[in-house]
Amino acid sequence: MPEFKKLSEADLVWQLRQRYQSAFVYLYDHYAGALLSVVSAIVIDKDLANDVLQEVFIKIWKQAESYDESKGRLFTWMANVARNAAIDTTRSKNFKNSQKNRELTETVYTSEEISIQIPVERIGIRKLVYQLNDAQKVLVELSYFQGYTQDEIAKMLNIPLGTVKTRLRAALIQLKQLANTQ
Amino acid sequence: MNIQEYIQSGVIESYVLGLASEEEAAELLHLARLHPAVKQALTHAELAFEQQALATAETPAAGLQQQLLQQLQHSFEPAPGTAIKAPDATSSSLHTLPAAGSNNRWKYLAAASVILLVVSACLNFYFYSGYQQANKKYESLLEEQNTLTASINVYKARLEESTTLTRVLDDTAITVVKMPGVPGKETTHATVYWNSQSKDVYLSASQLPAVPAGKQYQLWAIVNGKPVDAGVINSCEAGICKMKNIPSAEAFAITLEQTGGSPVPTLTALYVMGKV
Repeated sequence: MPEFKKLSEADLVWQLRQRYQSAFVYLYDHYAGALLSVVSAIVIDKDLANDVLQEVFIKIWKQAESYDESKGRLFTWMANVARNAAIDTTRSKNFKNSQKNRELTETVYTSEEISIQIPVERIGIRKLVYQLNDAQKVLVELSYFQGYTQDEIAKMLNIPLGTVKTRLRAALIQLKQLANTQ
Repeated sequence: MNIQEYIQSGVIESYVLGLASEEEAAELLHLARLHPAVKQALTHAELAFEQQALATAETPAAGLQQQLLQQLQHSFEPAPGTAIKAPDATSSSLHTLPAAGSNNRWKYLAAASVILLVVSACLNFYFYSGYQQANKKYESLLEEQNTLTASINVYKARLEESTTLTRVLDDTAITVVKMPGVPGKETTHATVYWNSQSKDVYLSASQLPAVPAGKQYQLWAIVNGKPVDAGVINSCEAGICKMKNIPSAEAFAITLEQTGGSPVPTLTALYVMGKV
């Protein structure tokens, strides 16, 4: 549908709130692939990632009312819905019982209590994260991919919250530069 | 606060990725309202994130969109067919989208009808092969039934035959004549059942050796020392054959003769003989 390529975000959001099927189709056509990449960075199994994507679109459609444009762009909101759904999936019992997502992992953090396994993926954001130093990798892994709050991470790693904050921010700046040099 | 430093701290990126704490988010949104530079940096970061995700987009499973459309079909509002009054009619695309929406509907209807056609073709094939199978089974059952009917008729005929024979043999006037094998043919034997009143002769000859081609067994009655033809034995291996009537006889014998029988017995081909 090339004639819709330039549909402005305000128009799209308005169409979405009118609950027109065309708006849903537009969203799917333009963003399903991008949202799938967000999901599959966390849920590596392809079939499962597609299941999550389905759930994500249902959530986006049903919770479109809760999108607040003063807080950011539509895609940012949708990507967050997608990431949260993906993390919920990895935290579910069924997922933990299956070994699907554990095939390729790299241990980047080990203490007496915790060892953090990071799936080694060769595509997308995982590839970028892989290039960070270990201290930064752990923070991105725990926050972005596993959904822990900075508070929780500070307690898990037993480092001050301020350090978590600054290290995470530095890691993200680093990621941004890595993305730009790609 | 140094706005430039704030922008470059990474807090915007952590917000866009959904990693900022509530306080961080509230602070950022507040600053974005106050400082256009912050707002601009936020938008820039969001677009960069979006571009990155679009650049690494993966192809969703085929049919997922259809599945979703079906799942959500009752939640869609019909797009108005005519001019749309948007709350802030700033864009012309508002007017094209619903029209395209109905265009889309036609596309879906067309796609749906193609799918239905394919499904129906598949079902046709499925049912047709089912029908063919059933037809084949029906035919083979029919054949089997015919075979069974035929063999039932055969058994029925045999049963009638043996019922008749039992009645015949049960008669008090029946004389049983055992005919053992003559010297050299000791393993063979046959039996004649002769009704002295009706003069009917029945023969049980199931123990005779198989008949060579062009030959036939013949039964003889010995009357006053002379052999009298009592008939050739046709295919009655399983039962008892009715032979010619013999008014009186001293003995019975069986010889092997040319097909059709002989007027006089070939004594060298004598098989069994028994006195009355």
